[in-house]
Amino acid sequence: MFDIIKTLAQTFGPSGNEKKVADTISGMLRGKVDEIRTDAMGNLICVKKGSGKKIMLAAHMDEIGIIVSYIDEKGFLRFGNIGGLPPLIILGQRVVFENGTVGVIWYEENIDNMKNVTLGKMFIDIGAGSREEAERLVKVGDMAVFVGDTVEQNGKIISKSIDDRIGCAILVETALRQPETDNEVYYVFTTQEEVGLRGAKTAAFGILPDLALAIDVCDTGDIPNCNPMAVKLGGGPAIKIKDRSVIAHPLVKDLLVKAAKNKKIPYQLEIMKDGGTDAGSIHTTAGGIPSGGISIPCRFIHDAAEMVDLNDVNNAVKLLTEFVKSC
Amino acid sequence: MNECGELLKKLGSLSAVTGRENRASEKIAELFRPYCDEVKIDHFFNVIGIKKGQSENPGSVLVTAHYDEIGLIVTEIEDSGFLRFSAAGGVDPKAIGAMEVIVHGKKDLFGVIGTKPPHLIPPEDVGKAVKMDDMRIDIGYDGKKAKELVSIGDMVSFVSPPQELLNNRIAGKSMDNRSGVAALVEILKELNKLRHDDDVYVVATVQEELGLIGAFSVTYNIKADLGIVIDVCHGDMPDAPSDETFPLGKGVAVAVGPVLDRRHTKAIIKLAKEEKIPYQIDPETGDTGTEAAVHEVAREGIPVILLSIPSKYMHTAVEMVCVDDVIATGRLAARYIAGRVKE
Repeated sequence: MFDIIKTLAQTFGPSGNEKKVADTISGMLRGKVDEIRTDAMGNLICVKKGSGKKIMLAAHMDEIGIIVSYIDEKGFLRFGNIGGLPPLIILGQRVVFENGTVGVIWYEENIDNMKNVTLGKMFIDIGAGSREEAERLVKVGDMAVFVGDTVEQNGKIISKSIDDRIGCAILVETALRQPETDNEVYYVFTTQEEVGLRGAKTAAFGILPDLALAIDVCDTGDIPNCNPMAVKLGGGPAIKIKDRSVIAHPLVKDLLVKAAKNKKIPYQLEIMKDGGTDAGSIHTTAGGIPSGGISIPCRFIHDAAEMVDLNDVNNAVKLLTEFVKSC
Repeated sequence: MNECGELLKKLGSLSAVTGRENRASEKIAELFRPYCDEVKIDHFFNVIGIKKGQSENPGSVLVTAHYDEIGLIVTEIEDSGFLRFSAAGGVDPKAIGAMEVIVHGKKDLFGVIGTKPPHLIPPEDVGKAVKMDDMRIDIGYDGKKAKELVSIGDMVSFVSPPQELLNNRIAGKSMDNRSGVAALVEILKELNKLRHDDDVYVVATVQEELGLIGAFSVTYNIKADLGIVIDVCHGDMPDAPSDETFPLGKGVAVAVGPVLDRRHTKAIIKLAKEEKIPYQIDPETGDTGTEAAVHEVAREGIPVILLSIPSKYMHTAVEMVCVDDVIATGRLAARYIAGRVKE
């Protein structure tokens, strides 16, 4: 499991540039599902055929990053955000472009108050001495992502892009286990979630499933002096009640709780005040698709190092497997 | 109170916190049944009343009004038995201190949102608003019992049964948008007295307060030639801007703006004049914040009219409407549907 997570987390794939991730996942699932296809939005759809209900399981492939908006005459890059980037947290971070070019994010130092350090006051230094030199490596419109190892320690995983390669890894692992069921299962690896839950919308319309789940991360309430939230790392996968994009369909929520109880899988109930998931765009697609989610409790979401508990991940695979069989 | 007022009081007593409307859907269906050819509840609990038209080749009109209400959702059950909560829909923390509530747990439990007595508020905090994260619901139980009966995700509704006031007014929770649902029933009643060519789908929708969610599936599943959305707009209040508020009792507010179909809107205003149905004009420069925004871009686009019932104190437990405006809304919509000439 760790190897799958590490491989996926280290694959380049900011929103709109998910192809490498899709290719990696296709490689992992080739021969293990009945059909692998890609739609116009770049969603990777892996189908296990069946005569029962159509179940869509979605995890997004894209990760947050930056996009180069201007290169100045001295070779410094100005940039905008791809997805939600907390400005102060990215200072001093390394980013890497698809071609391997590494840059450092820094800011205009003549600012009185660090609160005023917005992205517009920041730049990326790739060590170039001039615009020409910079342009040999990077063009306006190129995207970069955080640099960061994937490590396992004390039963936790620390890595960049856990959001949502962890969801992708859980889907891959579930598909590899080939749960025995008559249901038709769609393992869907979606695009552009971080910029507005976009890929899942067309994927869901193309499939028109009877039920859908988003497999993603959620915040926790277990670090010093944080916002209250009744979810903690290691407490089990979280069954979604509500986030900003969706309130889980009661039927889907109840099926998940029942599946967890049947197999005695530890679980928590998630109400996340900020942030949405693919379930948000899936449930309003076409005539409405009953949707919910399984979330992996995750600390430091959208930072260069995110942290999850490996037990939660393994239990999520169990829960998902049981859900697919029992609904 | 007249029949419509009594109906609205009944509707205001139902609890259907946004996202968990299933507990009220059958009751709404019962109200539609006497006037419809068929009533269905879809898998998102939208309640759909169908009244067939008399034409051999009928068009279809879709009328929506949401029946979900704002409320609270339990986020944590503390060992002490106090419940933490957050908002389901737009709830102003300033307006909920010391409210009575019902927690819809394994059974309905009465609770209160406790507030600190003035004696115990430190001088530096006097006059400061309390954040929702710092509030608790007290259901009187100890932690063990509370955890047995209440689960994270259980909904909480406000206790504020509809009260009659002077001048045909009613105040209470969920007038946004049960007054719209009352108007739906008025439309159905009126249509039973009129000849209408088109098939009419009268739909009480869900999850509007979470982002117009129910309207998405309804406008996709029902192919409509005309959409009519019924919701509330702001009533006039002493401290609110007069250009964004509308007096109670002066009639239905007909919205005019880019989202709204120009031809239908003009025609319905003309009809209101002819029929002497009291109305006001509601200029909407933006997306209206109502289901009309969903109708507009559903499928190939549904030309849409927005009719609003003025309501004071929106998103509190003392929302106030005038029953006369509800009746005017129902009458105007029904007459427009009945008089529609097929193009």
